Amino acid sequence: MASPAAAAVPPALLDKPTVRALQEALGDRLLAADEFRGDLALTVAPAAWVQAATLLRDHPQLDYKLFLDLCAVDWLDARDERYEVVLHVYSVGGKHHVRLKTALPESGAKLPTLVHVYRGANWFEREAWDLYGIVFDGHPNLRRLLTHEDFVGHPMRKDYPTAQRHVLKAPTPWLLDVPAGSENVVVNIGPSHPAMHGTFRVQALMDGETITRAEAEIGYMHRNFEKMAEERTYWQIIPYTDRLNYCSSFMNGHGWALAVEKLLGIQAPPRAEAIRVILSEFSRLMDHIVCITTNVVDLGAITPFFVMFRGRELIYELLESCCGARLTVSYVRIGGLANDVPEDFVPRCRALVKTLRAMIEQGHGLITRNPIFIRRFKDVGVMPKDEALSWGWVGPCLRGSGVAYDIRKDHPYSGYEQYDFDVPVGSVGDCYDRYLVRLEEMRQCLRIVEQALDKLPAGPVIVSDKRVALPPKTEVYSTIEALMNHFKLIYEGILAPPGEVYGYTEGANGELGYYIVSNGAKYPWRVKVRPPCYNVYQAYPSMIEGGLLADAVAIIGGLNVIAGELDR
Amino acid sequence: MAARVVPVDRNTRPSAMPILVGMGITLKNLVVTVLGQIGLGKKAAATVSFPEEKRATSRRYRGVHILTQREDGSPKCVACYMCATVCPAECIFIEAGERPEKDIEKYPTRFEIDLLRCVYCGFCVDACPEEAIIMSRENDLVGTTRAELIIDRDRLMDRAKVGEYGDGYRPIDHDARRPVRIAALERLRTEHGIVPGMPKRD
Amino acid sequence: MPKCTIDGKEIEVAPGTTVIQAALQMGKEVPHFCWHPDLPVDGNCRMCLVEVEKAPKLQIACNTVITDGMVVHTESEKAKQAHRTTLEFLLVNHPIDCPVCDQAGECYLQDQYMEHGLHDGKTVPEQKVKKRKVVDLGPIMLDAERCVLCSRCLRFEANVTGTNSFEFVNRGDHTQISTYEGRPIAHNYAGNLADVCPVGALLSHDFRFKMRVWFLEATESVCSGCSTGCNIFIDHRDGEVQRLRPRRNVEVNKSWMCDIGRLEYKEIALESRLDAARGRAGGDWQPLALDAALDLLAERLREAGAASAFLATPQATNEDLFAFRALAAQLGGKLDFRVGNPQDKVQVRVDDVLLRADRNPNTQGCIDLGLGQAGVDRILADCASGAVKALLLQGPELLLEPGAAEALARVPFVAVMATHERPELALAHLVLPATVWAEGDGTFTNYQRRVQRIRRAVPAPGAAAPRWEMAARVLRRLGGSFEATSTREAFALLTRAVADYAGLDYRVLAAGGRVLAPGQAGATQEARA
Repeated sequence: MASPAAAAVPPALLDKPTVRALQEALGDRLLAADEFRGDLALTVAPAAWVQAATLLRDHPQLDYKLFLDLCAVDWLDARDERYEVVLHVYSVGGKHHVRLKTALPESGAKLPTLVHVYRGANWFEREAWDLYGIVFDGHPNLRRLLTHEDFVGHPMRKDYPTAQRHVLKAPTPWLLDVPAGSENVVVNIGPSHPAMHGTFRVQALMDGETITRAEAEIGYMHRNFEKMAEERTYWQIIPYTDRLNYCSSFMNGHGWALAVEKLLGIQAPPRAEAIRVILSEFSRLMDHIVCITTNVVDLGAITPFFVMFRGRELIYELLESCCGARLTVSYVRIGGLANDVPEDFVPRCRALVKTLRAMIEQGHGLITRNPIFIRRFKDVGVMPKDEALSWGWVGPCLRGSGVAYDIRKDHPYSGYEQYDFDVPVGSVGDCYDRYLVRLEEMRQCLRIVEQALDKLPAGPVIVSDKRVALPPKTEVYSTIEALMNHFKLIYEGILAPPGEVYGYTEGANGELGYYIVSNGAKYPWRVKVRPPCYNVYQAYPSMIEGGLLADAVAIIGGLNVIAGELDR
Repeated sequence: MAARVVPVDRNTRPSAMPILVGMGITLKNLVVTVLGQIGLGKKAAATVSFPEEKRATSRRYRGVHILTQREDGSPKCVACYMCATVCPAECIFIEAGERPEKDIEKYPTRFEIDLLRCVYCGFCVDACPEEAIIMSRENDLVGTTRAELIIDRDRLMDRAKVGEYGDGYRPIDHDARRPVRIAALERLRTEHGIVPGMPKRD
Repeated sequence: MPKCTIDGKEIEVAPGTTVIQAALQMGKEVPHFCWHPDLPVDGNCRMCLVEVEKAPKLQIACNTVITDGMVVHTESEKAKQAHRTTLEFLLVNHPIDCPVCDQAGECYLQDQYMEHGLHDGKTVPEQKVKKRKVVDLGPIMLDAERCVLCSRCLRFEANVTGTNSFEFVNRGDHTQISTYEGRPIAHNYAGNLADVCPVGALLSHDFRFKMRVWFLEATESVCSGCSTGCNIFIDHRDGEVQRLRPRRNVEVNKSWMCDIGRLEYKEIALESRLDAARGRAGGDWQPLALDAALDLLAERLREAGAASAFLATPQATNEDLFAFRALAAQLGGKLDFRVGNPQDKVQVRVDDVLLRADRNPNTQGCIDLGLGQAGVDRILADCASGAVKALLLQGPELLLEPGAAEALARVPFVAVMATHERPELALAHLVLPATVWAEGDGTFTNYQRRVQRIRRAVPAPGAAAPRWEMAARVLRRLGGSFEATSTREAFALLTRAVADYAGLDYRVLAAGGRVLAPGQAGATQEARA
């Protein structure tokens, strides 16, 4: 399938430094380059995989130091080579995303590992092995990650039947290799420990109170969202997205709708975008409340939890008045929103902003300068900037480490460029920085909401493209055209053009990405969720090694790992 | 119109003031809440004493479904399968039969929703072209067996509890994007007294 | 050969090709209603209007013959406007029936509205012309309001069946189609009317309200109703076949199939399907595991040796027949298939359209594999005289022959592979449950000596197994070999053993089947008993 580079790299793209640099270094092993909907994608030969990734990271002009995602796509019989491995990386300085791809044949789906280039590639390669069966040579620990030890087969492969089940007879007691005769105690932290904030398990080898080695096990909440997405229309996937990061479920739907709209090349109307921003910012605030208050509960303080969860309740009531549900809202639609907000929305939001502002200040008063928390948080769980980028940290955790990357600022969407807000950044990268960043972000959320309310335009809340949005009900009840339109959209759904996009938004935990591959049919061919807390949690076992067990608890709370997003 | 990068304030001079401030906040909350509970002042505790009190829901709440009826008590549903097709949880099971009336033709001989599989997303309501299925505000669903929670057509129509909870999620007409059409419909109604195709609300 | 350019791409076509056919060759479908590849052109719907350079007005693609150098634009602004306008006119009086209309999911109006229309509707139901609805025409239901007056049904009745059941009545926008005095459709090809109708005006009565078509999965196969071997789609969902419909094959059945074949699917899921083996040693029937039943069969066949007889069935696939032949050869028993002399009826037509007198799908396969050897009368005579110690029937046909019962009473062991329960099975000592055509892959050879593939659509009930597999398992128990674990491999063995089938494989047969070269002496025995 290799073709001469000259034919496959359009001359127009050679202007881009990334493409030029890769072509100079790889020659005809750069097989193709294309740009679709603003996404630059480069295909290289498998033999040049590591070289290309290293070049992207190290070349001074390119500087793609932030590791985002590595996944596989199964093309089955549609292509000569069955599998494709896809890498997404980002350059903070250059403000640019790039996609690197390579094709692997069915017999001999092997690729050298990238763990030495990006630390974060570790779990992503394990996941690609687990779900697709692709072998990564040189990987230190190529074992199943999301499915259990008794699982047979590779479930994301297209010929694996969706309804197949494998029962786990007994869990694995040992994650660590403990030397014989060791006097050290092994402690299981989780999966049913309240401090773990979800179903995660870490096995720690203890020397007294100090953790000498730790190993993580995830996958307890793995429902294979991505396989379900391959058998659902774009509209039907929306309730599934609610169940990713369920603490701020509206944001997942917002990100999904934007990714599909990017694929379709359409834009939601301004009123819909403004309402999406308002509800997303409230959801971000909700998520940060969970993170902060449960973090300090683990350290012994219940009062902030009681004080600030009242705010969550009020936001839930607001969401319920808009769409009928509190947690799993399913409020977005491709092209806008399901329906307009109720009439009392604006005054209600303004009152809510005032209440929440007072609540945040109460929380601040209870926690921020309290010497107990300062002792527990300061210089605990330090994540240096370069390591954070290599792991693929994003969001408040990355900003806590001093990297000022916020998608709302750097690649504004849904009208964020209209609003004034501050992006708080830490310096040390310890728990205290992460806490302060989140606290300040909560204040900034309210600033954005107020500006969005001031500027809230009138108009429709969904695009008027008949191929995307359901027609209004009065017309469906009375004209044949609207009725046919309605029927076709329901049983056939939105037919996206063939192509692939990577849509990304600033979720509460950072860059929530959806990599969507479409072949023109009513179901997407592949959906990969880029979960922000997956990269963050991947660093956790190495962060807690050498520290106290008590510090491990303090650290996990501040990372805001949500099982629904982690395991999907 | 921009975003600014602002470093966080790590100022941590040691002092006992923050502890006192924190205690003050807690005490204030306690006093205000207690006063509110005994009727002096507005803020009461957040507790909802279920089942004596019920949490307030909005008019758009997505609770358990209702199959709406025509004037003669038969279901409005014509078994078009739109809801079963769109349901992301695949929890609606329909079989169609022939109705003798030639303008209606079809009706559901079997219409079951597995309320345990249902995720209450409301897509079935959005998909229905006859406003035959809507949702109520019922949210305290109880059953002792799985079979009990697979609700059939007759139980769906016989929703006496609707009165207790009220109507929830149902189609809301927003026609902001089709002004020409609305004007024409308005004219038909005001000048000719024709309201095309509008189902009678029950 | 004239060359033309359609939407910027050049194509060379045979003389007489119309624009719409040339576009289809390029993989492009020009929107249409009244045009049908197997019916004469009418040009009444005006939907396929396209822009032809140098022509003053838009031309209909279905009736414009390609001339050398013609340049056509099917999606220019003018053409798109024409498509939209035509759709708007067709929809002016169309009832809002989608929720109750079975055509949803395969409706030309729905599909073409999304691709070529997307306009706002302007008429409401109160303004639309009212016509007859829910008219029962027997196998077909008529709803005159949904009709777009494309006349496909009229042309089908006039040209394919010659029965002229339909005519247009009334004038203007009150025009409807009707049968004479509302009489039902009384020929064997009524199902095709529902297929040709692009909208929900003519619908199948059998399929009415059964299932929405977008839930169905279509599997390509061949009808098993007669020796014509019409190509079909099996539409099924979750292991249940819901309907059959024709698959276009210009060489065999064009776009049609007969109603007898259409309703064959009902036999697949009858209550009377056999799902377990059973045997009786003298008295009552005892259920048997399939393995035990095959053990018993092998045992009795081994004892009988050459004093055994084998009757193949022309209902079986070529793979079934080949394994059966191998089994008979292993023992040296007598072999035939001609119960009722189907070989005499293979070529005999029953009408001018499709149906043939031989109601078996694979008599020609039996002929080609040389299964007509010993003669059925001879075998029956041997049975009656007690010379046959074990008789294996691949199908129950012999049990139904008049006079067979007495002959069979003298055979100590009669085994039969059957698909359905019937009283005549009481004449046997061992019953093996066989799969039907929709439950396995294989090939049939039709009256043209065209080998065509069938494909598995639904799983078999219980222990029912394919005939070839049962025969192969018995053959191996008798020390013979049958080196195939799938029908594909069984067919490969067949092509190596039967000269006329050499060089064929499933891939080659995939598109439309393959007609065998004229037979050689050994391969086409048509000797009569």
